[in-house]
Amino acid sequence: MGTKILSKKFYNEMIQLEPRYPTKVALLLPALHAAQDEFGWLSPEVMEEIGSYIGIHPAQVREVASFYTMYNLRPVGKYHLKICTNVACCLRGADELVSHCEKKLGIQCGETTKDKKFTIMEEECLGACGTAPAMMLNNDYYENLDVVQLDELLENLE
Amino acid sequence: MSKCIIDGREVEFTPGQNLIEVAKKAGIDIPFFCYHPGLSVVAQCRMCAVEIEKMPKLQTACSTVAAEGMVVKTKSPRTAQNQKAVMEFLLINHPLDCPICDKSGECDLQDNSYRHGDLYSRYTEERRTYLDLDMGPVIQKNMNRCIHCTRCIRFGDEIAGIREMVALQRGNNTQISTVDGRALETDYAGNYADICPTGSLTVKDFRFKKRVWFLKKTSTVCEGCSRGCNMEIHQDANVIYRCIPRENMQINKYWLCDEGRFNFQYVNDENRVVAPMVNHSVSDWGLSIDQAKKVLMGKKIAVLVGSDLTQEEGSHLLEFLPKHFPGSPIFHFGTPGLNTAEKDGDADRILKRKSKTSNLHGLEKLGFQGFDKMPKEINAVLVIRGGRAILPDLKGLVAVGLGVFMAPQVEEFSVILPGTSFAEKDGTIVNYEGQAQRIRRAILPPGQCKGLSEVLMMWVNSKSSSGAA
Repeated sequence: MGTKILSKKFYNEMIQLEPRYPTKVALLLPALHAAQDEFGWLSPEVMEEIGSYIGIHPAQVREVASFYTMYNLRPVGKYHLKICTNVACCLRGADELVSHCEKKLGIQCGETTKDKKFTIMEEECLGACGTAPAMMLNNDYYENLDVVQLDELLENLE
Repeated sequence: MSKCIIDGREVEFTPGQNLIEVAKKAGIDIPFFCYHPGLSVVAQCRMCAVEIEKMPKLQTACSTVAAEGMVVKTKSPRTAQNQKAVMEFLLINHPLDCPICDKSGECDLQDNSYRHGDLYSRYTEERRTYLDLDMGPVIQKNMNRCIHCTRCIRFGDEIAGIREMVALQRGNNTQISTVDGRALETDYAGNYADICPTGSLTVKDFRFKKRVWFLKKTSTVCEGCSRGCNMEIHQDANVIYRCIPRENMQINKYWLCDEGRFNFQYVNDENRVVAPMVNHSVSDWGLSIDQAKKVLMGKKIAVLVGSDLTQEEGSHLLEFLPKHFPGSPIFHFGTPGLNTAEKDGDADRILKRKSKTSNLHGLEKLGFQGFDKMPKEINAVLVIRGGRAILPDLKGLVAVGLGVFMAPQVEEFSVILPGTSFAEKDGTIVNYEGQAQRIRRAILPPGQCKGLSEVLMMWVNSKSSSGAA
C-alpha cells in the first residue's frame, strides 16, 4: 500500500472505536461513515484502503457500501437533499416535492447541479412517517414539508 | 434410528439432517435453488418450502432439521401452490433465452420450471436488464439470468476463502459482481459455474462449444495432482469438451480446481505428437521401434518413468525394464524439486497438492526411485510418461520418448513413440493418502497413439535385438 489517503484523524478515531466491537469487521460501518465525513463520498480508493485496514476484500467493502443509501458512491453537492418517497410521505405529497426540486434546480433525481451545490436523491423510509413528508438536508431533518417551506429553505441556502 | 414421515412414507434419518437430505435418501425430490449441500444454509429462495403438520406456515426444507415423528408433505396442494408462486416470481426478470443459453439442459431453473412452474406468467411489464462487467478469463457472467441465490458468494467465502464475488446494491437492483469487473482471483473459479443454478455464470472455455445433452460422461479421477479429485470427463465424437467435479466426500467433496478442470486441454492439443517420429519426421511403428533400439544401442541408459503413469503401467515397466535394459538406473519424475512422496504436501488450504502428477505415491510404493540428478556416466535416456510429468533437463543426451508429448517439448528427441493420456486409458492411481482409484477411458487415442502395454509388446517382438548394451 502506497501513501494513505485517509487522514490521521480517521485512523485515530478507528483505534478509539475498535474496542467497542466484538470483531474488527464490525468497524466497517463506522469506518465508512468517518471516511464519508472526510471526503463527502466514498471513492474506490478510499474503500480499498478501508478494506486493507480492516482486513477484508475490497469487494466486501463495496458490497456493504452499496447496500446502504446513506453512503455516497459518487461525489455529491454541498447541499444533499434526500427526500423520502416511501408510502407515508408519498401519500402526503412527497412526489410533488421531488418534482418541484427537480424543476427548480434543473436536474433529475440522483444528479448534482453543475455548480456542485445541490444533489437530490429519493430516499426510502427516513423513519419520520408521523411527520410526513420528510426530507434530510445533509444531516438535518425537515418534516411536515410543503412546497412553500421547501422553497423558503432552498432560497436561504442559495 | 429416528424416523419421520415424508409423503406418507416412514423415513429414517440421523439427527441433524435437514429435510432435503432426508427426503433425497428416500428418493423424494424437494426442489431448491439456493441450497447446496457443501455450503451454508440461507433459505432465501423459498423454493423448498414444504408443509409440516402442526406448523401453521410452510417451512423451508433446507433449514428445517428433521425431528422424530415429524409429518412432512412435499406434494400437498399448499406446497405445490408455493412452488408455482416462487417459480413465477423468479421468472419475472429471467429472460426466456433458453434456446441460446449455454446452461440449457442442465439448468436447475429450467428443470424446476418444467416440473413445478405454471404455464403462464402474469407479468407484462419490462424486465430488469443489466450491462455486464467482465469477471476474468474463466467465468462469463450474464446478470440478467441471475436469481440471486448467492451460492457463488457463499462458495467464494466458505470454500475458496475469498470474498471477491459480492452482491452489490439491494432488493430488486441486486447485482452479483466483483469490484468494477476485476478478474476473479481464486484458482477455483470453475466451481462458480458448476454451482450456479441458472446460466448466469458459465465457463468461458466451454461456452457454445457443445449443447450439454450431446455430451457422454465418463467417471474418472483428475490427474492434476496427488489429491486424486473425482471428476467426470464430458466428450462427444472423441473430443473432450470439459471436465466437471464428481462428488466424493472423502476426497474433493463437490469441488475441482481450475488447473485440474482445464488439464484435459493437452489431450486435444494440436501440437501433440500423434504418430511415431524419427528425427522429426513421421515414421511407422515398426521402423521407429527399431530406430529407438538402434540409437540406444551401446549407450549408458537411464530410464525416466513419469509419475503420471498408472499402477498397471508401473508394474509392466518393472517387469520389462530389468529384462531389456539390465543395469540401467530407473527413476520416476514428475514435479521439479519434488522427487519423493515425503516432500509432497498441501499446496493450498483447499485441494491442490505440491506434486503435479497423480501417481507419485503409487509408483513409490511399487519401488521406483525418485529422480534427483542424472548420474555422470549416462549418455542416453528413455523417457516414459503420460502427459503431465514435467520433463527434467535432458540437454546433450540421446533421448527416446514414449508417451504423450507436445512437439516443442521434444525437439531434441531422436525417437518419439506416441502413447496415451489419462483420458485414453483405464488404470489405477494411488493418491497421497494411499487411496487407490480407477481412472477410466473416456475417448480413443488419437492418430497412431498406442497404450503402453501394446508398445512394450511390440518392443519385445521386434526383430532387432534389445537396446541395452
